[in-house]
Amino acid sequence: MSAAASARQHRREVDATVGLVIFLGATAMLFAALLLAYAILRAEAPSWPPAGTPPFPRGAATVNTAVLLAASLALRHARSTGRRAPAFGALALGTLFLGLQALLWRHLVATHLGPSAGPLGDVFFALSAFHGLHVLGGLVALAVTRARPLRLLSLYWDFVLAVWLIIYLAVCWL
Amino acid sequence: MTEPGGHGDGGDEIPAAPTGFLRRYVFSTDHKVIGKQFLFLGLSFLAVGGLMAMLIRWQLARPGVPVPIVGGLLFGSAGGVISPAAYTALFTMHGTIMIFFAVTPILIGGFGNFLLPLMIGARDMAFPRLNLASFWTMAAATGVLTASFFVPLGPPQAGWTAYATLSTAIGAPGVGQTLWVVAIYLNGASSVMGAVNYITTVIRLRAPGMTYFRMPLTVWGFFLTSILNALFVPVLAAAMVLLFFDRVFGTQFFVAGSTVGAGGDPILYQHLFWLFGHPEVYILIIPAWGIVSDLLSFFARKPAFGYRTTVYSLIGVVILSTAVYGHHMFTTGMSPLLGESFMVLTMIISVPTSLLYLNWLGTLWRGATRLSTPMLFCLGLVFTFGVGGLTGLYLADIVADMYLHDTYFVVGHFHLIMAAALLLASFAAVYFWFPKMFGRFMNESLGKLHFWPTFVSLNVVFIGQLLIGYAGMQRRLYDPSVYDFLRPLLPLNRFISEAAYVLGASQLIFVVNFFWSLFRGAHAPKNPWGVGTLEWTVASPPPHHNFDRLPVVVRGPHEMGHPAAWALGRDWLAQDELPIHAPGDGVAATAAQGAAQSPPDGSPEGPP
Repeated sequence: MSAAASARQHRREVDATVGLVIFLGATAMLFAALLLAYAILRAEAPSWPPAGTPPFPRGAATVNTAVLLAASLALRHARSTGRRAPAFGALALGTLFLGLQALLWRHLVATHLGPSAGPLGDVFFALSAFHGLHVLGGLVALAVTRARPLRLLSLYWDFVLAVWLIIYLAVCWL
Repeated sequence: MTEPGGHGDGGDEIPAAPTGFLRRYVFSTDHKVIGKQFLFLGLSFLAVGGLMAMLIRWQLARPGVPVPIVGGLLFGSAGGVISPAAYTALFTMHGTIMIFFAVTPILIGGFGNFLLPLMIGARDMAFPRLNLASFWTMAAATGVLTASFFVPLGPPQAGWTAYATLSTAIGAPGVGQTLWVVAIYLNGASSVMGAVNYITTVIRLRAPGMTYFRMPLTVWGFFLTSILNALFVPVLAAAMVLLFFDRVFGTQFFVAGSTVGAGGDPILYQHLFWLFGHPEVYILIIPAWGIVSDLLSFFARKPAFGYRTTVYSLIGVVILSTAVYGHHMFTTGMSPLLGESFMVLTMIISVPTSLLYLNWLGTLWRGATRLSTPMLFCLGLVFTFGVGGLTGLYLADIVADMYLHDTYFVVGHFHLIMAAALLLASFAAVYFWFPKMFGRFMNESLGKLHFWPTFVSLNVVFIGQLLIGYAGMQRRLYDPSVYDFLRPLLPLNRFISEAAYVLGASQLIFVVNFFWSLFRGAHAPKNPWGVGTLEWTVASPPPHHNFDRLPVVVRGPHEMGHPAAWALGRDWLAQDELPIHAPGDGVAATAAQGAAQSPPDGSPEGPP
């Protein structure tokens, strides 16, 4: 690769990083607004969780959190070693996370914690479903792109993980 | 901060122009083509939204009288009369279309795309394919919005703000409102894609020497608007996500709970909407401010007065605009302490805005003003924005707002800015950059013939709305004649409507001029207006790759009346012209310009 071509590639990678950071800033505002809605609803509620709400299955949510954390770590490993295998691991773990979330939603609907069953269910469903779409986007990006932009993908996954940790803490434990 | 973009370091390759119709004109990644696509899309929807306004004005002037000509076609089942439901749908779609599908694509999508890379000396946007996606996402949004007209229960009727509970499944059971939510979400996605692109482009792709404080104010406008877009359109998206969940999955975010049990809150929707909605008005007006700040300088043949102050004022407005949204909600029973904070913050916005305005007047002061069509439209904006801005102060005041809230005073105020000022800025931009976009001039006589009736009638319409609002007429009212106290206003309402028809009809002059000039206009040279920004240093229209050699910028954008330029027989210097020695040292011409002429005559005034 000529020096000019490599400089050009470096330039494009910095461009892409700047663009991704702005995009993540925009996405962060979206989740911040959703969390603000949660905060306002919760502040207005006479009690939280609302009276008559069945207990939230924190254990299952914790397992899912661990899976997403593992996916993010695998991608970091792939990025630092430059090998592809951990990236496939991240793909598998990410898919597993979405599968487990789907099971969790099914369980929540069955135990009257789903959407339309009350504020707690509404909040968890809206936040986690919209977060799930972003995980799905990350999976698609991971599946279709080559090894080159692993650094950017890893940044995106770290962001998705951070958003999930906030949702998990705010809804399940606060 | 001032390290110019990374062009110099890696050699710059000139991308090959695509061949084939689809890649060149439909799915193009060229910012100039995408800009024109946005412009055409925006202008088409401007026409649709404008025709809806004509129908609204018909109903207010002659309640219950069948609409002539198109009544049978549009409202056949009601005998040509606009029904209350149709009227509600009309003002809902008028607002939605004008704000999200006309003004946004014309100014931000159209001129932002076309001008940004040209003005900062880049070959294209940072992410051309994202740009392509941005346009087609917007196109998809228009498709979804149009589809909402043809579903059972008809188009959405919750107003452009879509307040809960008018917009939840209880208030709007039809699919139309759901499609509206999807269309707004897609529209926002398109805006955010554009914002990511614009911000990255400005940060990374400025030509060597193009420091932030050498950027044209137009570029500053698009840059700052993009920052607001990136931060606050997602908040609207969040509101749309929750509204979508409420409508489709049966959640109850915006459905009021009982005092005992927990539930949702309709006011929550207003908070989310205006958290976006107030920055949104600045998202729309800041590009117009930027364009006008540049054009006033170009046509007054003087450097923009207080360039840096203008930039800092714009930044100040951007920062303050994030913390004033509560003034839309004074009547929702918010805590007086909170209300007063919002009132004070809102009033503080008039400080940077006034600085900006004074700078415009300073630019105009003793200029060698050329009253070309773009300048007429700019001066029109200076007037309407003044009136519109001052009436904003009444609404910012809690006590006055208690009375004026939801009256036509509000309608008049935001139309003076969102409709009048933005329309005038858009027209100024079209007349000014048309030669660069299409290589031909628009007709000046027709342009002036377009300006005067437009300017006069839109002031009659919107100042008239201020008056009837002050007299107490509520906005979104189907038939004002049902109230005794509003009946005396009927003649005024008719007069406003007639002015509105004049306003609508005079736009036909623009349409004729636009299409005639597109095919038959006089050919434009490279730099017909004699200004120094970079887009005028390339051919009209510019080649696919914009610049044969990337420019090296040596000065600011408004070098008008520069004494050193007189030696070249003109009163302006291009941003990338080689350095010219100070007039005192006797060498006045540049190497690039060839033979040096006589030194300037030393008069402090610019040439007339």
